Amino acid sequence: MSKKTINIPLGSQHISLLEPVRFKFECENEKIITVDSDVGFVHRGIERACTTKFKFDAIGYVVARVCGLCAITHSLSYTAAIEKLLGGEITAKSKYLRILLLELDRIHSHMLCLSHTCENAGFEAMFMRIMGDRELVMEIQELLTGNRIQFDYISIGGVNRDISSEISKKIIANLYEVKQRALGYMDEFTNNWSLSLKFKGIGALSLDDAYMLNAIGPLARASGLNIDVRNEIEYLPFDEVGFKMQTHRDGDINARNLVRLNEIINSIEMCNNILEGLPEGAIFTKLKGKPKGEAVIRFEAPRGELMYYVKGNGTAMLERVRIKTPTFSCIPAFSHIFVGENYADAPAILASFDPCLSCTAK
Amino acid sequence: MFTSLIKAFTNLFKKPQTIDYPLTPILKDKEYRGLIEYGEASCIYCLKCEKACPPGSILFVPVENPPENEKNKKGLQYHYNPYLCIYCGECVRACPKPDEALWQSNKKPSIAIKSDKVNEDWFVLEKLKKEE
Repeated sequence: MSKKTINIPLGSQHISLLEPVRFKFECENEKIITVDSDVGFVHRGIERACTTKFKFDAIGYVVARVCGLCAITHSLSYTAAIEKLLGGEITAKSKYLRILLLELDRIHSHMLCLSHTCENAGFEAMFMRIMGDRELVMEIQELLTGNRIQFDYISIGGVNRDISSEISKKIIANLYEVKQRALGYMDEFTNNWSLSLKFKGIGALSLDDAYMLNAIGPLARASGLNIDVRNEIEYLPFDEVGFKMQTHRDGDINARNLVRLNEIINSIEMCNNILEGLPEGAIFTKLKGKPKGEAVIRFEAPRGELMYYVKGNGTAMLERVRIKTPTFSCIPAFSHIFVGENYADAPAILASFDPCLSCTAK
Repeated sequence: MFTSLIKAFTNLFKKPQTIDYPLTPILKDKEYRGLIEYGEASCIYCLKCEKACPPGSILFVPVENPPENEKNKKGLQYHYNPYLCIYCGECVRACPKPDEALWQSNKKPSIAIKSDKVNEDWFVLEKLKKEE
């Protein structure tokens, strides 16, 4: 007797999904055999708008609207690309302030992902707790930049706002609190049955597969792949502020959660180091000229490597802006992980990827 | 088990984490980014803010009765659309006389309703600017 398969869709709208994505699962009983995905539901044509509607100095604010969670990485990548083309050097203080906001952004993004993993495990109370604690980070971001989500903090040539001593005091106090909470989560995520044992061995990705399928970000690091752009780039001094690679060997959902938690703690350390040794000086240098030539910039967004390609022709309008987002690069790995898993685990596995579809579809 | 029971019991008497918004006002820092405000008397009509604004929410449009200012030779009038503005503060940084002619407050815009015709009126201004 031939085995009968059934098709079950997940999305594009589903209660366990944060953003519209569609997966078509072909299942044999409960097991998933093949996966088909569609990610282009929130396409807004931002790349096209960047080359037709806006001048190059305004695009930093346009690309920040690609994604609400990693807005800072987008605007930072774009400005770094333009600074490379204009050939100016920015001040040391603005470099450190950029890392500070980048790491604060990573902390709150990882906390959001962890809370949704809890929610998809049916642990609603933990979801509420992490989301409540995330406000501590949101509060300091708001103080530092003047806005909660769209920071608009980075402009070509530096940063827009200086940091005062009260703000840095508040940041250190809040980050201390967040660190205590994060250590508490670490306990919950390793010892609580509904968060650790339930997730062990589910959605596993082996090291070889992670390497073969070009997995990046926390997904690859949870499989033991030493890949982090912060370790490879030189235009921001990540090594000076105490960056440490966080990896795990298991590659399952639990490993991803632990990698994210370790990254939160490492980011808090980095922020404290920055605030302790923040150099004096100006936060902005005016760069003159129009971008001419090509530039490729990579940065580590909370979800993995973000790549910007910018091509200018010496006028105020750019010729091409290409954005390669982390979730897009991870789709082959996503599809691979689903095969062989139970359909009932699919929402939890999907939440552990931390997919960002508004980045992907842009 | 025992600790979680104690925790659950003490949580019953904890205050909610959310703010009871209309009754309790939300604390606003004076540095928060809000509406852009304009001081006509100090403006030198250099139009730098208009050029710097990413979404184009500041327009200087020629009118019949322009504000009396000796720097205003072309008879322009300042227009600002708070609903198009992204509050980035780029105009304030471009302004040669910040804090006097153009500054950023921490106020938020009123809610726009259909009868205000915020879009229609703004489209007319944008058309005028294009014709110029």
